[in-house]
Amino acid sequence: MSAQDLTYWLKDFWNEFKKVPSGIIGVVILLLALAIVFFEHQILPFPDGNTRWRDITYWDDNPKSAPPVWTNIFRSKKLATSARLALGEKKMNAMEGLQCVEQTFDYDYQFDSPPLDIIIRVKGKSSVLLVIKLARPDNFGVELLQAQFDFLGDEEKRLSLDSDARKSLPDFLSQFAAPEAVRTIDPSTIVPTRVLFAKTQDILTNPQPLKGKYRFTVTAILMQEDSKIHDTSIVISGSTAGLLGTDSGKRDIFTGIIAGTKWALLLGILTALISVGIGVVYGVVSAYFGGVVDTIMSRVFEIFVSVPLLPVLIVMSAVFKPSIWVLILMMCCFFWTGPVKTVRSMALQLKEETYIEATRALGGSHLRLIFKHMVPILIPYSFASMALSVPSAIVYEATISLIGLGDATIVTWGQILHDALTGGAVLSSIWWWVIPPGLMISLMGMTFAFIGFAMDKILHPKLRTR
Amino acid sequence: MYFKYLIKRILNGLLIYIILIFIYSLLFNTTSDSTARYKIDEEIHQEISKLKNMPPAQVLAFIAERKSQKIKEYWLDKPFMYRVYYRTLKILCFDFGDSTIIRSSSGERKVAAIVSETIPRTIILFSTTILFEVAFALWLGLKKAQKAGKMLDKATSLLTMIVFGMPSWWLGMLMIMFFSYGIPIFPSGGLHSVPAPTGAIASLLDLIYHMMLPLLTLFIMGFWGMAFLTRNIVLGILQEDYIMAARARGIPEFKVLYGHTLRAAAPPITTMALLALLASIGGNIVFEGIFNWPGMGNLYWIALEQNDIPVLLGLLAVTTGIYQAGLVFLDLIYGFLDPRIKVGGKA
Repeated sequence: MSAQDLTYWLKDFWNEFKKVPSGIIGVVILLLALAIVFFEHQILPFPDGNTRWRDITYWDDNPKSAPPVWTNIFRSKKLATSARLALGEKKMNAMEGLQCVEQTFDYDYQFDSPPLDIIIRVKGKSSVLLVIKLARPDNFGVELLQAQFDFLGDEEKRLSLDSDARKSLPDFLSQFAAPEAVRTIDPSTIVPTRVLFAKTQDILTNPQPLKGKYRFTVTAILMQEDSKIHDTSIVISGSTAGLLGTDSGKRDIFTGIIAGTKWALLLGILTALISVGIGVVYGVVSAYFGGVVDTIMSRVFEIFVSVPLLPVLIVMSAVFKPSIWVLILMMCCFFWTGPVKTVRSMALQLKEETYIEATRALGGSHLRLIFKHMVPILIPYSFASMALSVPSAIVYEATISLIGLGDATIVTWGQILHDALTGGAVLSSIWWWVIPPGLMISLMGMTFAFIGFAMDKILHPKLRTR
Repeated sequence: MYFKYLIKRILNGLLIYIILIFIYSLLFNTTSDSTARYKIDEEIHQEISKLKNMPPAQVLAFIAERKSQKIKEYWLDKPFMYRVYYRTLKILCFDFGDSTIIRSSSGERKVAAIVSETIPRTIILFSTTILFEVAFALWLGLKKAQKAGKMLDKATSLLTMIVFGMPSWWLGMLMIMFFSYGIPIFPSGGLHSVPAPTGAIASLLDLIYHMMLPLLTLFIMGFWGMAFLTRNIVLGILQEDYIMAARARGIPEFKVLYGHTLRAAAPPITTMALLALLASIGGNIVFEGIFNWPGMGNLYWIALEQNDIPVLLGLLAVTTGIYQAGLVFLDLIYGFLDPRIKVGGKA
């Protein structure tokens, strides 16, 4: 088959394919999935989520088991969303002979329920005095924190309102409530964000949200010559987070879904390509040589067909603890049986064609006959089974991950579902943890089913209805 | 003639089973070795704790002696191939050894006992589902074939493709989430309520009540593909001349469909149903773990959680055996329904 033949054939195939609408839908979804894989870095809200999926510290700033942001649409009481505040102004000035860096962060608060916590991260060098202030829309200000920090090397300090700013609250509260009332309250029972974002009226008994623009001011007084401060960031840890919420380990599920896409596609397509390739060659070789070779190969085929696939894969994964690549290899070991039967019977017919006889008469070797004249003709017929074995590979991997035998160095949809199952997502109805990964598996399955069935229709016209 | 075919097929199945068990023993030899060693250590430890008033030197000698004895007993001193051969033989005699942690409901540690009490539960769940699926798929498939290319046919074919790659256990998770915790109308898992009701009828009703949700899930997942296959099979038969002749004779359409067509479609449809049952064993078995249905699939979960290798290997041998038996049975029943097959000849 020359290149020209191939392009002609492909054109012909495409013209036929275009007539099957479901096939087109399949191709479109597949292209979208590929686009996600290629632009992964632009899409990922947490760029390191790919490699640090199991690193607890990386996800520390997120809220726990928070529903997706868009669920606010259906809520009458809007929950604060998680966000990273952008740096507003940065001013340098000298104060009493000391260098002073002032950074401001604006936060537009338009929710009915305050965020869970606010986290301030600062990187610095040597000794720094940090003063963090909050200016409220009603012009009341709070000094949240004033403390000296000694940074070791280029260390990062993580300050959270919930643990570091409690001391400043009684002073703030006593402006609006009776001092006796403030004194009787145990400071550890006050939720800082609830009072800081509340109207002054009834701030103790029944805090109501005060909407408007808030401004955080982080002032760093550099105590020493070599003192430095950089990379200051403020993260709002709200009650809702991200496009698909977070799990009980504070991980952003949307990141996991996007990161899992490439693995699903890779393992599905790779397994399908390798196994169908092996299957076609196996069938052709078996039919081409015939006789004893055929008998032996049929026997081997029979043995492989008699293996209950999932139990064997589970036990092998449990015993050998494979990486994703070994798992792909293991799946290929059993998946190749799919196209063998049809290919063998087609190759038996093909073997008798005159051009094969002619090649043989001209002294063509077995290799040439098999790989140049028989396999290329039969490969198109295996396209359908190739497309249809992609979903099963994805589902098998997901199933093995679901039991907890997946490759722990990567993120796959099956592993997210495993975490959901062990993390009690089903029990506590954390639907945003359970539905998206499974939906993606199903969507991939549907995509390849669309493509596969469309190919099947074209390549095996017998199934067409009259 | 059929008898000869039967014997041949059964022997062939047995041979394949033996080969598979041999391959398993080969693959998991190292693991079995380490499990055996672990077991020896554990047993000796138990023996020592029973001994009292023995000087330390004597204890050490005792340990060494017992250890070499045990190693001989478990064939660990024999060369590699011997051990593989020995394990293959043991498994073929259904001797899977003792579990490390898991016990059967009567407290036994024999793997065979643990596994065998789960088999009926798996079979009850999956065969009941298949029964419902086949009944519904036959009806739907015939409807689809009758009006091939029309709305119903197209819509259901589309749905078939949509659920094609959907994992049944995921749907199970959703079902539990919505119907056990969201709207609590079904139990979230298990075989019986706690405490189990007394009396045969109450017990049966309780079982059915607990089976509803897994059954429903499997049913929703399964019947599409079956209806699609039935449609293709029936569509092929409907184009045969004898169907046209039957219609021409004025036989009612109902009879043509359910008498003439279905009889001819019986062999492939039976195959389909049995294959679906086998496919659930080969690909759907973890599903049980989601519903805590105490069958073989759930035992896989437990064995993995407890890292109980003997149970895992025994379970695999049994699963393979059932699968193989199913394949043999499939061929036999096919030969019975379609007389052309059993005559034999070259494949």
